[in-house]
Amino acid sequence: MSSKVYFRRYWQLYALVMLPLAFFIIFKYGPMYGIQIAFKDFNFFQGIQGSEWIGFEAFREVFGMRDFYLTLRNTLMLNFLDLVVSFPAPIILAILLYEMRTVWFKKLSQTILYIPHFISWVIIGGIAAQVFGTQSGMINNVITSLGYEAIPFLTEKNIWLVTYLLIGVWQSAGWGTIIYLAALTGINRELFEAASIDGAGRMKRIWHITLPGLKPTIVMLLIINLGHLITIGFDRPYVIGNLAVREYSDVLSTFVYRIGLQSGQYTLATVVGLFQAVVGLVMVLSANYISKKLTDEGIM
Amino acid sequence: MLGNTKRNGMAMVSVILAVLLLFTACSSNSNSNESGGSSGSESGQRVTLKIEVFDRGNSPAGSTITDNYLTRYVQENFGDPNNIDVEFVPVPRSEEVEKLNVLMASGSDVPDIVFTYDTNTFNRYASQGGLTDLAPLLEEHAPNLTAFLGEDILQYGLYEGTQYAVPAKRSQVGKYASFIRQDWLDKLGLDVPKTTEELYEVLKAFKEKDPGETGGQVIPLAMTVANAQYEPLIWSFIEPLTEEQSYTLTQTLGSNDYPTLLPGFKEALQFMNKLYNEGLMSRDFALDTDKKKLGEDVSSGKVGFFSEDDVNPFYENGMYATLQKNVPGATLAAVDVYLNPEGKYAKPMYNPNGMYIMVPKSSNRAVEAIKYLEWMATDDHLFHMQNGVEGENYTMVDDVPVAMENQTEEALNRLYNSGDMAIISNGKQLGSEELNLRARAMQFPKEYQDIVAIAQELANTDLIEPVVLSRPIDAQTKYGTTLQEKFKEMLVKTTMAKPDQFDNVYETMMKDYMASGGQAILDERTAVYQEMQSK
Repeated sequence: MSSKVYFRRYWQLYALVMLPLAFFIIFKYGPMYGIQIAFKDFNFFQGIQGSEWIGFEAFREVFGMRDFYLTLRNTLMLNFLDLVVSFPAPIILAILLYEMRTVWFKKLSQTILYIPHFISWVIIGGIAAQVFGTQSGMINNVITSLGYEAIPFLTEKNIWLVTYLLIGVWQSAGWGTIIYLAALTGINRELFEAASIDGAGRMKRIWHITLPGLKPTIVMLLIINLGHLITIGFDRPYVIGNLAVREYSDVLSTFVYRIGLQSGQYTLATVVGLFQAVVGLVMVLSANYISKKLTDEGIM
Repeated sequence: MLGNTKRNGMAMVSVILAVLLLFTACSSNSNSNESGGSSGSESGQRVTLKIEVFDRGNSPAGSTITDNYLTRYVQENFGDPNNIDVEFVPVPRSEEVEKLNVLMASGSDVPDIVFTYDTNTFNRYASQGGLTDLAPLLEEHAPNLTAFLGEDILQYGLYEGTQYAVPAKRSQVGKYASFIRQDWLDKLGLDVPKTTEELYEVLKAFKEKDPGETGGQVIPLAMTVANAQYEPLIWSFIEPLTEEQSYTLTQTLGSNDYPTLLPGFKEALQFMNKLYNEGLMSRDFALDTDKKKLGEDVSSGKVGFFSEDDVNPFYENGMYATLQKNVPGATLAAVDVYLNPEGKYAKPMYNPNGMYIMVPKSSNRAVEAIKYLEWMATDDHLFHMQNGVEGENYTMVDDVPVAMENQTEEALNRLYNSGDMAIISNGKQLGSEELNLRARAMQFPKEYQDIVAIAQELANTDLIEPVVLSRPIDAQTKYGTTLQEKFKEMLVKTTMAKPDQFDNVYETMMKDYMASGGQAILDERTAVYQEMQSK
């Protein structure tokens, strides 16, 4: 079938794909026009066209800023720790849920686990201050009334790190189970029956059937997460962080907010954004490459 | 055949949808230039004047921030006679600068009148050539406004000699006062402290004897990372300065002078460190950026002493009222305790100007914008916008408008946004500072008017004047926001450090501060000072 005939027969499908294509062109590729701000002395009264080219000067300035390296380190550190702590959590939870046999209890726990995902970070930040505050936080009220020293959950940087990570797990783990639960429905139930007839206990079945069944999903999500290692959401570090732990809580997104939106230095902010995008791309590609070599699974 | 048409129909729908989407996305750019064209009111054509307004999210039922008593008052008394549609563009108060940056960058959607309190933002807009030169317009259209503001105020709107802003006028310049729990002092038989050392002893007594019976929850000195709490303490440690020192070593970040490099600053931090480590200060002060925790702690009766914007605790249902409701018998006294090495209760003051009112260069309504400000300064429009209707909102007592006690709901709702609408003035203007202060005190509930008067007096005692240089400092514009963060971080880290690590932390933080722009500001200010000297 020649491509012309093919196109004529299936043109409706092409028409349908127009919609997502338009989305990507308008909202993902269109804004790339603004990348040139990174190479210009951007003056927002003259617009992008009117501003002068300055080559790589802004890059030199950003790479000379102490805060850039600090926030870069923090971004990588927080994301890496998050990967270690928060990534396995939904997998474990999903397996636990999958193994549950009482349907109403399973549904109930699922709902309870999803709820934190729908609470905005600003509110979580408020709750965190109430619960973890040193002087009048709920937990420390108990600790001090028992006669122990209050724990600075939010104001000592290393303890703050733990608080930050655990709040992240609490917020996202439940929601993260959805994709794994979906993958688990794809596993043939007969495998479990066969295994138990062969004398495999619950742990053995999880190890030899459930986990291998989840492997493609795990690898895919891991690659996606690695690509995001250098980008970090704004809300969570901004809301949970504070001045006392800025050494750890100041990340690239809050840095961009400060120099871009607050100080109006759009050129520098764009440089940081571009840097993140390029490094992120390199990371996804290399993670994909390694994964293909090691496990034959990849996303591209 | 039928099936086929149906399928074609579906396809058509999806194509149309896709095309529509493309169009809507593109068209948002194209209709923005329409508002250009002829310059309105003279040619008899009705024009639109867009004015920024702060949105504090406190509009009463039946009003919105863009449609309320005052906006209608402006439309009827200014808009209609001049053939102008006045449109208000809301900007959230808490992210004023960020939102304004976005508006300015959008070019065409920007209001014709914008304003900010932030000096750096004003300087940046002016230096990038984004503002209209207002001097000729003021001369031609605004005699009353010019007279109202006067030369002194207007000079704050100059950028390298050009009048890029009309600064608002402040009715008074006092900022801070401190407050102590008088009932606690009485209970312990202590005198009101008069010096920093005496304060320290009192704080210790508050902690040890817990006169408020808080069960160990007592916060002898309430602290936050907002200026009103730490500035009175820190500035009282600053030693007497030579003219050269105050010009070169002061760092003006945002609209405030910062004492980072001034002699005595380290001792101030050391004192904070001592208070913190001895448990005399709020433990979580680093988290309190918006004074919310301070308000909670004071109203629940845990706090013995704190500094605050002079009249802030006394609003209806405010901090003090809630405290007295929660803790019967609780009384506050306004006091001055932070004695500096010269024997003065030195504290910062406001610049005599309020916010910078600007007209973006892209605006075609500069004339109307100035006419609006002129209108506000003419007749009793400003007075009306600040005080409402006589006999319904206020009555005149000794030349001062006094808010009436049982106003109707409708009358009360008239003035909820008065401060944000009467932009040419910060606070009530009655002709003299004395009258202004009296009028200010009168706004508060009757039982608090005495203490408000004392607090205002303290706030106006021994003021440290802002340092004004002959030209703007570029480094301050550039690094201002970052350094404000660094300053607060230094405050927090040095205060919370273990006493034996204080020096270490101080050195590290100071190095970081200097490397992040502090040195650049110092160099530039030194250069400007030398320029000023050689002239």
